[in-house]
Amino acid sequence: MKTRIHLAAAAAAGLLALTGCGANAGATNTASDFPRKGKSIEIVVAFGSGGAVDTAARLIQPVLEKELGTNVEVINKPGAGGQIGYTQLTSAKPDGYTIGATGSPSVVVSPLDPSRGAKYTRDSFQPLGRQVIDPTVIAVQPDSPYQTLKDLLDAAKASPKSMTASTTGLQTGEHFAMAQIQETTGSEFAPVHFSEGASQATTAFLGKHVDILVANVSDVTDLTKQGKARVLGVMSEERAPSLPDVPTFKESGYDLVAGTARGYSAPAGLPDEVAEKLEAALQKAIEDPAVVQKMNDLGLQTSYLNGDDYQQFWAAQEEDFKKVLPLVQKTD
Amino acid sequence: MTTESLTTTPKSAARVARSVLVGIGAFTAVGIYVLVSSLGLGLWTSLGPGPGLFPFAMGGVLVAMALVWLVQELRRPSETAEGVDRGLVVAVVVSLAILASVMDLLGFQLSTFLFLMYHLKLRGRRTWVTSLIIALAGSVGAFYAFNYGLNVALPVSAFPLLNTIGL
Amino acid sequence: MDIFNELLGGFAAAMTWQNLLFAFLGCLLGTVIGVLPGIGPVAGVALLIPLTLNMDATGAIIMLCAIFYGTAYGGTITSVLLNTPGEAASAITTIDGYAMTKIGKAGAALTIAAVGSFVGGTIATVGLVAAAKPLGELGLLVGPPEFFALMVVGISLLVALAGKSMVKAVISGALGLLISMVGIDPVAGAPRFTFGVDRLLDGVSFVAVIVGVFGLSELLSYKKGSAPTNIHAPNFRSLLPTGKEWRRSAPAMARGTGIGFGLGLIPGMTGSVSSLLAYGAEKKFSRHRNELGKGAIEGVAGPETANNSHANAALIPLFTLGIPASPTIAVLMGAFLQQGLTPGPTLFTENSEIAWAIIASLFIGNLILLLLNVPLVGLWTSILRVPTTILTALILLFMVIGAYTINFTVFDVFVMIGFGLLGLALRHLDIPLAPMVLTLVLGPLMERSLRESLEISQGDFGIFVNRPISAVLIGLGLLIIFSPLFKLRKPKALNEDPET
Repeated sequence: MKTRIHLAAAAAAGLLALTGCGANAGATNTASDFPRKGKSIEIVVAFGSGGAVDTAARLIQPVLEKELGTNVEVINKPGAGGQIGYTQLTSAKPDGYTIGATGSPSVVVSPLDPSRGAKYTRDSFQPLGRQVIDPTVIAVQPDSPYQTLKDLLDAAKASPKSMTASTTGLQTGEHFAMAQIQETTGSEFAPVHFSEGASQATTAFLGKHVDILVANVSDVTDLTKQGKARVLGVMSEERAPSLPDVPTFKESGYDLVAGTARGYSAPAGLPDEVAEKLEAALQKAIEDPAVVQKMNDLGLQTSYLNGDDYQQFWAAQEEDFKKVLPLVQKTD
Repeated sequence: MTTESLTTTPKSAARVARSVLVGIGAFTAVGIYVLVSSLGLGLWTSLGPGPGLFPFAMGGVLVAMALVWLVQELRRPSETAEGVDRGLVVAVVVSLAILASVMDLLGFQLSTFLFLMYHLKLRGRRTWVTSLIIALAGSVGAFYAFNYGLNVALPVSAFPLLNTIGL
Repeated sequence: MDIFNELLGGFAAAMTWQNLLFAFLGCLLGTVIGVLPGIGPVAGVALLIPLTLNMDATGAIIMLCAIFYGTAYGGTITSVLLNTPGEAASAITTIDGYAMTKIGKAGAALTIAAVGSFVGGTIATVGLVAAAKPLGELGLLVGPPEFFALMVVGISLLVALAGKSMVKAVISGALGLLISMVGIDPVAGAPRFTFGVDRLLDGVSFVAVIVGVFGLSELLSYKKGSAPTNIHAPNFRSLLPTGKEWRRSAPAMARGTGIGFGLGLIPGMTGSVSSLLAYGAEKKFSRHRNELGKGAIEGVAGPETANNSHANAALIPLFTLGIPASPTIAVLMGAFLQQGLTPGPTLFTENSEIAWAIIASLFIGNLILLLLNVPLVGLWTSILRVPTTILTALILLFMVIGAYTINFTVFDVFVMIGFGLLGLALRHLDIPLAPMVLTLVLGPLMERSLRESLEISQGDFGIFVNRPISAVLIGLGLLIIFSPLFKLRKPKALNEDPET
């Protein structure tokens, strides 16, 4: 009986020792030897696997591994429109071993609305680099009488809320864009919030259940090719490469820029050396030709900004959103 | 209700079972809580039902149904099911709760190993060998299967010391 | 017969060694993913996409599609054998499936489920080949008001699921609806019943709830001294369904195929809705409806067929319009895009051979799924031979891993424990679990589509009756809700078993 116990204990010990082969080195780190070989870097993705944010992160992961010389893992922590993942990111140690994918408007908006009880603010993040910006577009049905953006906006101003326009949910990019349009031009649409996302909004639009599709460039590229939607304007500084015939809002006389932007950040307070190394690696990854190509295939335009510029961009976005926040929060 | 049913002593208890009363009470309490708190959420907006409308309705339904059930029970008490095995419930629930609490702390492998050993050896009274083998397979084995086989990360320990031996 | 030629070409391409292997691997992986509760089809497909990036496009897509409809069967195995649903769509199969296991007919249940899955999946794929484009357009006709009307029909079936006590069924349904409302509401975007807990902002995890309410509560309800598992280890003969069971399954499979196919075309409908409604349909229309809940084969045949029919039909909007009908298909679509294929009409014009190879592989895959799983029924049921104490410990572990891997947080494990206790209480009080699952699934969909409809109509409730489809559906729903009133005149009819 005793021998059996001893044998079992030996086997257990042996197995536990074997597991050491897969162990992580847990010794202390200093900034100058970042990243320590064998210690993984985690990219916290605040959205589910397979989505745009997750896909982008997984695309840069192999390049980051090469550049940084250590394991890089993508961890999904979805929920509450990004809030769960962002909370996890900002409460992690700012030692460079945890970074995260940050997307606007989710990361910009969530701390602004007190009822959401977000435990972070813009200052909890240290932006490292922006990867893509996906401008917002306004599209009408192919058989719509409106040929230009001005026609549409004038009509909406004349009879407010006579036309339904889709969003992907309350306080999403589309909702803010609509609010900004309303604020600047006085034209009012009746928002219909499809909280299941862009596919749901697109489906409803194709089924002619809503008049206007408010979406991102990547969502409508294919639709325009098939002639199923007529894009009247794109809310970016320059025309979108995949939609060369579509004028920008600026060209049509409305100085409005809006869209979703996705990049990567760390919890605030990174040592300078660590931040430098991470930023450099991210730049390499984001601008890597294979990655750019794959992002293009997905309809996403790579538009790199380094950490500082990304931070300024983020601050500007926060200002824009703060201005129209009352409009999107209005519940009667 | 016929005279026959009044004079024949039913095999079931003539009183409403305690567990049924507790159940009815619980549903009523939950219903009332929901009713009250949903009022604060707003029942109606300009575009239709507000966030509180459906909860309000459901809270009301719960209370109403609980009362109807009470009346039904008073008229004709139902036979209660056999009792639950309290020992089993406590053992399982408590061990699960402990497992969930320490899993992030001790890491998946160690905590599930202990959990399985408890259920196999202490409660199940299996032999040492069987218990150890199964416990190891379920903890360490599962960890590696998920990690390398399916690319799914199960928790590792929060203690660096345990990390060094791979836990 | 252009399509026919294209399809034959597709078969030729799909039957290469590599593509057959990919289909097989996909089915296998899909079944495994379906078996594991926490890792649903979405995560499963997403996690395996990186593996496929280096494969050629056709093979990659074939494998991912196979994983997708493979998961529809995998969830059934644990539902039937362990009363623990592997994924949402299998939740309703636990009711009659596990009941059949308890009377020693696990093998028959699994076999019928496998065959039903094959039938449903194949017929749906035939639909894809024959009439993809018009069917895709049909799906578009369903807007928020029609969706809401369908939900009304769905919830009206709660009445059908009632059983002995309507009061208890309604309580169960109300509970489910309340639980589904935890989280950020679709109306004002404000948290509802979250008690300040971040994790609850998304609502209570559905899989954690059903694993707790069905699986854990079953374990907790074992009485002293009974060893249920060893009692129902089946012998060889009972592995296969009897002739009578085959005959009874046929109408159930037919209904299931129809329901699954119709709902699969509608973007936004999940497989669980199909299997729930198929179960409700069996309760309403089957000749043996009185046996449902106690181990009626229809309770397995209907939902399982609907499940796979739905999964395959849901590919139609993807192929014809480039619209993903569910999160899982959205992930699949991402894979298409990463391989350089654009799903939608252009797929057939620009990459026709690949498209048809994939479609041919859908047929092959459904067949592989059948051939893979039927012989394995014996293997799966032998799980039941494991001694109770060991099996219980392993099932508990299984459920913990399952609950954890939903969102990679132990919070969901606590949710599971809590709902296990709730399920135990409900069982003890003789409150049916099925209505709760029904409202848990349909509740959010209903509230959301109501809100969307009213945003479209700017507050006008007339939108539901002004549109023909939704008006008809709402009428149907009301009819079902009030139909018991007609039966009250002949109370005896409810208790008679037409088949004695």
